[in-house]
Amino acid sequence: MISERLRKVILTQLELDDFPLEESTLATTVPGWDSLSHARIISAVEAEYKIHFKTVEIIRLKNVGDLQALVDRKLS
Amino acid sequence: MLDALGEVKVGETIWAHWERHMERNGGGTAIVHWVTGEEPHRWSWGDLGSASLRYATKLAEVGVRSGDVCALIIRHHRDFYPLYMAVSRLGALPSVLAYPNSRLHPEKFRLGLAGMARRSGLNWILTERELESTVRPLLSGIGTAIRDVCFPFEWNTEGAAGVRLDHPQAKAEEPCLMQHSSGTTGLQKAVVLSHRAVLENVRRYGAAIHATPDDRVISWLPLYHDMGLIAAFYLPLTLGLPLVQLSPFEWVQAPVILLEAISREKGTLCWLPNFAYNLMADRTSDEDVEGVRLDSLRMLVNCSEPVRAESHDRFYKRFARLGLKRATLGASYAMAETTFAATQTVPGAEAGRLRLDREKAAEGMVRLVAPGTTGARVCVSSGRPISGCELRMLDDAGNELPEDRIGEIAIRSVSLFDGYRNNPEQTRAVLRDGWYLTGDYGFIWEGEYYVIGRKKDIIIVAGKNVYPEDVEDAINQVSGVLPGRVIAFGLEDSKSGTEQICVVLESELFSAPEPDQKSLRLRVREAGMTVDLTINRVYLAPPRWLIKSSAGKPSRSANRDRALAELQYDAGGMHDI
Repeated sequence: MISERLRKVILTQLELDDFPLEESTLATTVPGWDSLSHARIISAVEAEYKIHFKTVEIIRLKNVGDLQALVDRKLS
Repeated sequence: MLDALGEVKVGETIWAHWERHMERNGGGTAIVHWVTGEEPHRWSWGDLGSASLRYATKLAEVGVRSGDVCALIIRHHRDFYPLYMAVSRLGALPSVLAYPNSRLHPEKFRLGLAGMARRSGLNWILTERELESTVRPLLSGIGTAIRDVCFPFEWNTEGAAGVRLDHPQAKAEEPCLMQHSSGTTGLQKAVVLSHRAVLENVRRYGAAIHATPDDRVISWLPLYHDMGLIAAFYLPLTLGLPLVQLSPFEWVQAPVILLEAISREKGTLCWLPNFAYNLMADRTSDEDVEGVRLDSLRMLVNCSEPVRAESHDRFYKRFARLGLKRATLGASYAMAETTFAATQTVPGAEAGRLRLDREKAAEGMVRLVAPGTTGARVCVSSGRPISGCELRMLDDAGNELPEDRIGEIAIRSVSLFDGYRNNPEQTRAVLRDGWYLTGDYGFIWEGEYYVIGRKKDIIIVAGKNVYPEDVEDAINQVSGVLPGRVIAFGLEDSKSGTEQICVVLESELFSAPEPDQKSLRLRVREAGMTVDLTINRVYLAPPRWLIKSSAGKPSRSANRDRALAELQYDAGGMHDI
């Protein structure tokens, strides 16, 4: 499940009021989430949770569920 | 000064050059295929040569012949290189096309490909199994030249090594590759280049950047783009310089991998579109670059988008502590129609800058102003013409302009293309008496060339050319948008260092409640996604708002100016997201 906190960070970066984000959601299906905004979203997530992702971790992300799982792992 | 440059013989084929490296430098590194999190695969010239011949044998078996056009639609894969070379070995024309990302609607991708196949005569599609259901229907299309869709990475090429191939019959004047511009509404143009044109550009450009056998090229650039294909693929492979190739897909997700590769592989040369400087400077943390050194870099060449001084400053400020030298920040003016480079700044010196009086520039005149002057326009030099290349500035009537005037840039070059394939109308529009009319505005100052704007409506997003027609076509399908009442334009965004796509559309929903308008804007952005474009701004306008040109179609430039002006002075009249 995608937490409200993560959802808010992503939607704020994309300037979207609302958009359904599921675990299986691919970045390419979310309006505005393209190669240029991707790095911005990752930075915003890192800043929000005060965590740091390694390059390999970022590249292996396949969907929003992977991002949520990575955040959870870093926080634990 | 350079052995490799002396070895470039413009009367031969590209393959002949590669073959020499395979024979004389079999153990030397040709290509380092970089995959993040794994040990890179290092192709020696000898192994690359053997693998190329194996693929060439299999391609010949399936029926590929000299002169055929082979579209390669393949993601980052270590066997891409021998496959590409194999096509060339047979005297066929490789044409690298972008692999569709999942947001591009399969039907839109297929339509774009069908347009290319019809216009340019694609004969073979070499791709991955995942695309089979999307591309196979093209085989039964009316008038298609496509003979088959192949999945070369599923072939067993082991036994193919011993099969003898006839020596390629291609001659220097014959075509050696095809490049396609992007697009989905049949506007794509195919540039075909001869062996001679490519070798002339590589040789002369190699001299302009003072290439030596000690150079190592590092690139994340896609090979369907002229900067990636010519500067960062043909140039190193023809001159025999090692190339470190990263995945464009990985790079956009984690831009720091380019810096890691430069550091680990001691890279000296790198080409980048302007937005990449901003992206790396803004999205790389100190933790990411721990242990990274950039001392080995000799030249970073900014190309393919307007060069912005602020992007160079930001990049230098961020990475100077890693050993980046200011003098590495060069620039070039290049395009597929001239094979690649037309101009280049001097190696060992940062690209120069001029501060222009903005108002005079708008009137077409070059007037310098003192540093610190408010409202000055800072222009970055793209350097001087490379040898074999001439540039002129022309007025609207086609007359040559003096040095202090801004005009359309026209180029004459020994590596000029012969025209767009099967497209005499487009060719006539851009070629005049041996000069190529670029559609870009610029000026000359003390022998250096500055590119400052565009005559044509094309939008350049992150180094990629986007036709407004493609955007408008997609938006026209959206319910709530008045048919034919949409214009798209690009807007400079200094934060990202590139342009944003904006649309102005007329809709009856202009005075509808806010939720209905929001829903319309979302549908517009989603329609952009179906053609793999991000629409950053949507301006809603009431019916009959758009200004028409004399031809009865909405004028892009006039409506762009009106939309921006009315937003600025009457924000209540328009809505911006």
